[in-house]
Amino acid sequence: MEVNGPKIYLQINGMNVITQTTVASFVVMVLLCAAGFFLGRNLKKRPGRMQVLTEKGVSMLYNLVEDTMGKHNSYWTPYIGALFLSSIGGSLIGMTGILRSATSDVSTTITWALMTSFLVWGCTIKNSGLKSFLKGYINPLNIVSDIAQPVSMAFRHFGNIMGGGVLMSILYTGLAGLSSLIVGAVRSNGWVVTGVTALVGAALLLLGFKKKKMVFKIFGAVFAGIAVAAALELLGVFGEVPILEVGIPAVLSLYFDIFSGGIQALVFSLLTMVYVGMACPPKEEKNK
Amino acid sequence: MPVLAEVTQFESLVGVNPWTALFTFCNMIITFLLLKKFLFKPVKKMIDARQKEIDDMYADAEASKKEAAKLQADYEEHLSSARAQRDEILRDAVAAANKRREAIVAEARADAAALRDKAEADIAQEKKKALNEVKNEISSISISIAEEVVEREITEADHLRLVNEFIGKLGEGDD
Repeated sequence: MEVNGPKIYLQINGMNVITQTTVASFVVMVLLCAAGFFLGRNLKKRPGRMQVLTEKGVSMLYNLVEDTMGKHNSYWTPYIGALFLSSIGGSLIGMTGILRSATSDVSTTITWALMTSFLVWGCTIKNSGLKSFLKGYINPLNIVSDIAQPVSMAFRHFGNIMGGGVLMSILYTGLAGLSSLIVGAVRSNGWVVTGVTALVGAALLLLGFKKKKMVFKIFGAVFAGIAVAAALELLGVFGEVPILEVGIPAVLSLYFDIFSGGIQALVFSLLTMVYVGMACPPKEEKNK
Repeated sequence: MPVLAEVTQFESLVGVNPWTALFTFCNMIITFLLLKKFLFKPVKKMIDARQKEIDDMYADAEASKKEAAKLQADYEEHLSSARAQRDEILRDAVAAANKRREAIVAEARADAAALRDKAEADIAQEKKKALNEVKNEISSISISIAEEVVEREITEADHLRLVNEFIGKLGEGDD
């Protein structure tokens, strides 16, 4: 098993101009814009189902931004929304299997984090003037914090998504090894192992239904599935198919790809909101 | 010189590629602008418009309700004043009617008294008249008796008979 960075598609003068990440982020952009275009079309006062969902999502984003940054910063919502959706899309695009998650490349996350930083600096200069912005750096620790902020944001996001991907590939490798082990055992011991596995599976299922424990039910189903697969293997249906890679990774993928992707997108946009919101205080406080 | 890299070539796992960063930046900006133009602005506008419409409707309903309450109060006031007026009119009418009844009764009483007086006077006159007639009768009878007496020779017996007769006639006349 190897853990690699994004594939390189086009090199010009030794520079990696187009990589897997570029393609992924381009695809995400096209998908998001197309979705936004279609969802934002034909809006009516009396909405249809799609419009209700769209409005729900948009107003949730607006509420999130207004709760975090204050009502006066409501106009930031489109940027935060675009950031949030790009982040989620960039993480989920990896689940296609063809493309690599755009967010498991530091180049992507550091770009977004730097955009946040520049927005913060811009807002600070705009709201309190260049002089007081520069005055803030009399304390050199502020320089460190301004460097650390985007770096930590970028690496948090990148690390979570990349780590999830690495874990998933480790899992796949491990499961492949385990299933070939089981297949080997089944091959050599034949129906005995199949029978024992089926028995264990049936017992666990029975226990699960009797005590209404989800865990027993799941493991019972897994064992029973293995037994069925082993039986099929003995009948000569499977060759070298890694049977364990069916089903089990789905549960973990739910966590590492979908849940983690959503959480990181939320964290990234929340941090952006907080930093930019602090740089754009309400008008009353600005006059102090 | 552009070279299509072999697909087996990979970037390092952790590293910043400025080209990727540039593309990401552009993509982000484009996503932001397009989503803002096509999704966020129209949807927000629509939501706000609907919210405004709902608010207006509620305000209208509130105003109508207030007006209705005012109208009701007016009506109630009118009604109660009308009721008072009616009561007054009724009271006046009853009083007038009572007065009128008393007047009529008094008049009737006066009339009846006058009639009775007249009748009594008539009766007295008639009585007087009747008494006069009786007197006349008596005198005429006396004259006729006297004539008879004068015409005939009157014996003792005749005399007695005559006196008796006369007295009997008197008794008859008394009847």
